[in-house]
Amino acid sequence: MNLLKNLVNLFCAPVAPAATGSTGVKAAKRSILHMFDPTPNNSPFDVNMALDAGFDVLMPYAGVKLDNIQRLTQDVIFSRGPAGVKKTAIFIGGRDIGLAIEMLDACQPAMVKPFEVSVLADPSGAFTTAAALVACVEKALFDKHGKALKDCKALVFGGTGPVGVATGVIASLQGAKTVLIDHLSVDSAADIAKQYNRRFGSNLEAAVASNDEEKLALLADADIVFSTAKAGVRVLNAAVLAEAKQLKVAGDVNAVPPAGIEGINLKDFGAPLLAASQSQAVAVGPLAVGNVKYQLQNQLLKTLLESEQPVFLDFREAFTQARQLL
Amino acid sequence: MEKPFILHMLTTAKNLSPFDVNMAMDAGWISAVPYINVEPSEVRGLVQDAIFSRSLKGLKRTGIFIGGRETKQAMDMLKIAKNAMVPPFEVSVFADPSGAFTTAAGMVAAVEKELADKFSTTFAGKNVLALGGTGPVGQAAAVIAAQAGANVRIIGRQLDRAERTAELCSQEFGDGKITVTAGADSDKAEFIETADVVFATGAAGIELLSAELIARAPQLKVAADVNAVPPAGIAGVDAFDSGKAIAGSISGAVGIGALAIGNIKYQAQSRLLKRMLETDTPLYLHFEHAFEVAREFVKESR
Repeated sequence: MNLLKNLVNLFCAPVAPAATGSTGVKAAKRSILHMFDPTPNNSPFDVNMALDAGFDVLMPYAGVKLDNIQRLTQDVIFSRGPAGVKKTAIFIGGRDIGLAIEMLDACQPAMVKPFEVSVLADPSGAFTTAAALVACVEKALFDKHGKALKDCKALVFGGTGPVGVATGVIASLQGAKTVLIDHLSVDSAADIAKQYNRRFGSNLEAAVASNDEEKLALLADADIVFSTAKAGVRVLNAAVLAEAKQLKVAGDVNAVPPAGIEGINLKDFGAPLLAASQSQAVAVGPLAVGNVKYQLQNQLLKTLLESEQPVFLDFREAFTQARQLL
Repeated sequence: MEKPFILHMLTTAKNLSPFDVNMAMDAGWISAVPYINVEPSEVRGLVQDAIFSRSLKGLKRTGIFIGGRETKQAMDMLKIAKNAMVPPFEVSVFADPSGAFTTAAGMVAAVEKELADKFSTTFAGKNVLALGGTGPVGQAAAVIAAQAGANVRIIGRQLDRAERTAELCSQEFGDGKITVTAGADSDKAEFIETADVVFATGAAGIELLSAELIARAPQLKVAADVNAVPPAGIAGVDAFDSGKAIAGSISGAVGIGALAIGNIKYQAQSRLLKRMLETDTPLYLHFEHAFEVAREFVKESR
C-alpha cells in the first residue's frame, strides 16, 4: 500500500515544467498500446490494426512469457497516473490461443485500482477472425436456410490451428455439434478439444481427415463447414463437395489462392456453392469474413481507448460484437 | 483522420540498425515497427499479415523495409516478399542490408561523377578493382559498376571466396547479363597496373591500397574508400576527400572518402524511403534503384 500511496502522491504533485508545453498548458497524453507477444515477433496485422484504430504509440514486446505478465502489467499501470492509464491499453498476441487466454487472465489480478487498463487478447487475429467467421456463417445459415447454429452439425477443418480452435469453441458454445478436424492426427485434435472444453465449457468433438475418403465420411451429415487451414491449402475439392448432401453453409477464411474450399469466391456472402451440387449450400468467402473481422478488430481496439471502465476482451466478447455488426 | 504511414522493418539480425530507423522516421514514416531475427521462411507470413490488415487506401501508406547483413539473403527476402503479395493487396518493399545497397550506390555515383568531371569519361570499358570486395558493399558496388559497363574484378584475401562472390554477382544479382571476375589480394600489384578505378570496401581500419601500389598504377583515375575509421583503406585518401588529387599518383588520380560517399548514400536512402511513401504502384527497391536515385542526386547537386 505504501507503493500505491507514493504513486498517488507522485501523480498529485504539481506538474513539473518539463511536462508542460511551450504555452504552459499540460500537453495531452498520447495513447499507448503495449503489445505483449510470446512469439519472436509481433504480427504486422496487429500493428496495422492498432495504429489504424487510433493509437498514437505502439510498443512491441516480443518473446513475452506468462511469468512476465504481472510485472509488465504493473509497469504499464504504475507509470502514467490515473488520467494516463485511461489512454493506455494492453494487447495480447501470439499464435497460441490457450496461452493468450492465460495471459489475459494473468493481467486482471495484476491491476491495482484506480490504476487499471483495458486488455484485448487476439492472438494472430484468431479471435476476431473466428468471431467474424462464425457470425457470417450464422447469418447466411439463417437468411438462406432459416436455421440456427444449435440445429446444426459443424466441421472445422484446420481445427487445431488458432483460428480453428476459436471457431470451434464459439460454434460449440452456440449449441452446434462441432467437430475439430486435424489433417494428421486424431489424437492432437482430441487433446485440443478436451483442453478447450475444460477451459470454456464447450462440447467439441475431434476427428482426423487426411484424405478425401475421410472427408466424405465426415461430410455425410454435416450442415456447416468452416475452413480455417493454412493460407493456400485446398481443404475440400469439387469432387468431395459434389457428394455432400446436407451441407448448408461453407465458410472459408483463406484469401490466398487456391481457395480452401473449391468454388468459393473471395467476396461470396450467401452465394450458392455450385460445387456442392447435391445440396443447397451457400458460400461465405474470405473477404466477406475479412471485412467483418476488420471492422470488429477496429471496434474492439477502439473500445480499449474509449471505455470508461477497464475491459478485458477475448473471443466471446468478439463474437457478441461481431453479431451486432451484422 | 488520415491513416498513419507504417513501415514494417524486418531484419535477420537481433536488432534493427538505428541508422535505418532514424532514416525512416525522417523520411516521413510515422511508425517504424521492428521485426527481429526474421528467417527468410517467415517473410511470406509477415508480408501477408501486413497486406491483409489495411484497406487498399491504407496499403498505400504501408511499406516493408528489409535490413540484415547479407546481400543474397536480403535479395531473397525481397523476392519472397514480392511473391507473397496478392494484388491488389500489395505494398512497396525496400531492401538495404546494412545500408550496403545505398552505400555502394553512393560510392559508384561519386566515382562516376569524378570520372566525368576530371577525366571526361564513363564506366564503360573501365577496369575496376573492388578491394575487400566480398562483403555486402563490395558486392553491390561491383554489380552496379558492371551494369554501368565496367570490367569489375573482386579482390579478396581468399581467392575461392572472391570467385564465389564474383559468380554470385554475375549470375544472381546481375541476372547473368554481366561478368564480374575475381582475383587474390596477393596478386593486386599486378592488377593495379591496368586498373582505372579502385573501390575499397573492406573492414574498417585495414589499409587495402598502399602508397607504394598507388605509385605503380599508371592509369588509375579514381579511388574511393568507404572506410571512415583510420587508417584509411586507401593510403592518402582522407574521409573528407571529394575529388582531391591523391599524392604520389603518377596518373593524376583523385580520391573519394567515406564522408563524401556517406552524403550521397544518405540522400539515396532517404529518397527511396520517400518514394515508397509517394508511389501509387508498389515498388520493389534494391541496389539498382539506389544507384538511380544516387545518380539523380549527384546530377542535381552539380
